[in-house]
Amino acid sequence: MKKFWILIKYEWLNFRADKGLLILVTLTLLAGLYGIYYGTTEVQRQQQNIAGLEKLTEHNVEELKAKYPEGTDAGDIGYYHSTFAVHHPDSWASLALGQRDVNPYYIKLRLLNLQSQLYDTENINPQKVLAGNFDLSFVLVYLFPLLIIGLCFNILSIEKEQGTLPLLLSQPISLPLIVGAKLTFRMLVVLGLGLLLSILAMIWGKVLPDGRVALWLGVVVLYCLFWFAVAFLVAALQKNSAFNAVTLLGVWLLLTIVIPALLNVYVSIKQPVPQALALTIQQREVVHGGWDKPKRETMDKFFALYPQWRDTTEIKERFVWRWYYAFHHLGDVAVQDLATQYKQTLLARHELVQKLNVLSVPVNVQGIFNAMAGSDLPSYVQFLQSATRYHDRLREFYYPFLFRQITFTHADFAREPRHSFASAPDMKSATAGLLKLLVSVGIVFGAGLLLFRWKTASVK
Amino acid sequence: MVKSIAQKEFISTLRDRRFVVLSVLVLLLLLAATVVGLYSSHTLQQEREVAQEEVNHQFHNSADRHPHRMAHYGSFAFRPKSTLSFLDFGLDSFTGASVFMEAHKQNSANFSQAQQSSSLIRFGEMTVAFVLQMLMPLLIIFLCFGAFTQEKETGTLKILLSQGVSLSQIAWAKIAGYSKTVALVVTPALLLAGGLLFGQNGLDLQPDTLWRLLLFMAFYLMYFFIFIVLSVVVSALHQRSSTSLVTLLGIWILCCVIIPKASANLGNTLYTTPTKAQMDADVHEEVAKGIDGHNSQDSRAEALKKDLLRKYGVDSVSQLLVNVDGIIMAVGEEQSTKVYREHFEKLTGTFQKQNRISELAAFLNPYLAVRHLSMGMAGSDFPHYLHFQNKAEEYRYHLAQGLNHIQATRLKYKDKTTRLSSDTWKEFKPFTYETPPVQWALRHHLLSLTALVLWLGLVCTVGMRVINKTQIV
Repeated sequence: MKKFWILIKYEWLNFRADKGLLILVTLTLLAGLYGIYYGTTEVQRQQQNIAGLEKLTEHNVEELKAKYPEGTDAGDIGYYHSTFAVHHPDSWASLALGQRDVNPYYIKLRLLNLQSQLYDTENINPQKVLAGNFDLSFVLVYLFPLLIIGLCFNILSIEKEQGTLPLLLSQPISLPLIVGAKLTFRMLVVLGLGLLLSILAMIWGKVLPDGRVALWLGVVVLYCLFWFAVAFLVAALQKNSAFNAVTLLGVWLLLTIVIPALLNVYVSIKQPVPQALALTIQQREVVHGGWDKPKRETMDKFFALYPQWRDTTEIKERFVWRWYYAFHHLGDVAVQDLATQYKQTLLARHELVQKLNVLSVPVNVQGIFNAMAGSDLPSYVQFLQSATRYHDRLREFYYPFLFRQITFTHADFAREPRHSFASAPDMKSATAGLLKLLVSVGIVFGAGLLLFRWKTASVK
Repeated sequence: MVKSIAQKEFISTLRDRRFVVLSVLVLLLLLAATVVGLYSSHTLQQEREVAQEEVNHQFHNSADRHPHRMAHYGSFAFRPKSTLSFLDFGLDSFTGASVFMEAHKQNSANFSQAQQSSSLIRFGEMTVAFVLQMLMPLLIIFLCFGAFTQEKETGTLKILLSQGVSLSQIAWAKIAGYSKTVALVVTPALLLAGGLLFGQNGLDLQPDTLWRLLLFMAFYLMYFFIFIVLSVVVSALHQRSSTSLVTLLGIWILCCVIIPKASANLGNTLYTTPTKAQMDADVHEEVAKGIDGHNSQDSRAEALKKDLLRKYGVDSVSQLLVNVDGIIMAVGEEQSTKVYREHFEKLTGTFQKQNRISELAAFLNPYLAVRHLSMGMAGSDFPHYLHFQNKAEEYRYHLAQGLNHIQATRLKYKDKTTRLSSDTWKEFKPFTYETPPVQWALRHHLLSLTALVLWLGLVCTVGMRVINKTQIV
């Protein structure tokens, strides 16, 4: 054991003297700090924007109060009044922004048909979202492996190339001990950095300190161990430094870029989403067709869904709001199946990715991070469902006014339902991912050990 | 001498099994990306074409309606995929596919591919551009890292120099040899891409598309050449192959992974994007109150009525030959569109400022230069997207104003019940979209083009000077 610590000490001295390695570690540290800064400011910005929506709603109410005196037709209010369904980020989102920049985090809603409003997008710069988020999860998933590769690609080969290996082995220390000590030292550096950045991000982002702290740190440790295992496996081949560098970078490229890109192609072909355009076309057709249908027919259809309003007065006027909102709702009903299928297909896509992520550890780990932060596709689909329920509540709030012809007073604005949705972490996917990660680390380390034994045996 | 060095590099590379395996892998990926790209962009294009035809048909055969109801019924613009976008998806997966065009209101482009995907899509997409931009440089690095270091390690550099060639002559010879090898890998894929394109479009292929394809290829060839020369220069600066390789891999990571993401994020941090909700509220506010805040919508309409009465010397609006409802609607549309467009321009201005950071970073990083140019030629960059959005907005405006005109001329004042037959709607041409010409696309990427050319010049001049000055031990 003493020899082990002597080796570690000399590794440290070596490391301190090597400018290249120091630069590498410093760069990763800086990238990590920027990632934390970016993630937290981005989440803050979204929170501020969400808070700003409340002001817009208030402003809208003030405007309507000025425009319509006490006791007006609720139909006018429903048409001109807008409110928002909002999707609050989870406190962990600052560590893994996931798809939160692509998917809208609020939806402006009026009493009109939902399906023409539900999919409106936020102002996003496509070039920015194409480049992706430089958050902590990016630094951990993409850059940490590169750091590990940079630190480990010549772990054994450099001693051979400098001619120091025979010298070392002439001492009473074994090859496994040398490799073990060197790997341990590098693990201490990398894991120290990874854990430090993670904890810093948790404090900076003021995350909810629940079981996810342990889970996140565990995933970081395991993910780093995975890449150490890969480096160990390649070192066990006992080739020269150049070969190791190319092979390791090749593995990195394969796992973080090529396989995910191929998976993406596979998923989009295997699970197409044809519903979106069909849905958007059809709902318009039905809603606008509502104007031309006999009122009786429309109302009968509507009353079949809402029998409680059946006893209301027969419509004789050319235009009344309750008829207008009834055919708007029938537009939503007409595409209900498509809308459900749309959401199901999105979830099926996500499920497929969850199954395929065994092929790439980085995809799996990114998935765990996003699941923990509730920032992936399922959260967005849940938000869509929540917004749909909110729209139902809004309609049910207005229906008594419309069908019983109760006038809308200024005080009624305060009684209108409000919406708030916060994404929840998907702990089931996260733990399932953790299990897969554990298995991957085990397999690669096992393979490395076997290869190392076999190679060293053959050397002797 | 120079020729035989080039020949030697070419032959010895072909004899290197590892390199051959890697090249075959890259080539296979390139071919796969071509086929997959063509398939998926074809599918998307088909889907959008069908949708566009359907809505056009619906509009022309729509029921008898009041023109203003028709204005609310509106139409859709589905963004067609540009012919070459199968080579580089660019922003296409992150931009909306459909815009609903109605009176009074400018809607967002909805249903982007990215919104329908899990975060897997953020790892990148398998396209020809991706292989050319990211994987080819790696292959080049692998090919060239030992250009000088190997000669130094085996002691052959001195022997070569004693034959009377200069360092830069050796460098050029090697560059020639490597270029030939790279061409061998890239050519089949580019030929396949070109062939498939011809196969699909036959003789209908627009000369503009051909120009785009040629420039697309030319930019990549420049990019590869820059990487070859850069690798040779780096190799000349090092004594050992392994350090040369590690340096080059570091450069690759910085150029292809870190800088692109960091510069885009920096732009986003520096220039804040206003939310759509805030923008819509501002537009609404300005339209309602008038831009100066005094001239409200209702008072504007009153003033307009009075003006018309005075102008035509009648006492009431019903005596006017035109329907004042339509006129008021048209003036309102004009006003709100003007306000909206100002805000939209401000928004896109912000986006352009954000993107400018990446464009400037191209002077530090040839990867960004070629990426922007590649998207530009493929028609999947930000300017093309904006072009589509503006065309859709233009169509929306003309549709709304056309219907207002019908209301003003063919309907009576306060008439809300008359329905015009569907023949009226056939007077409106459906929405069509043409990708702008190649010169237009190039004009939007002058900065990136300058950066790429500058890089090419710099590596050839400064790089060679550096090689000539290196110490041979």
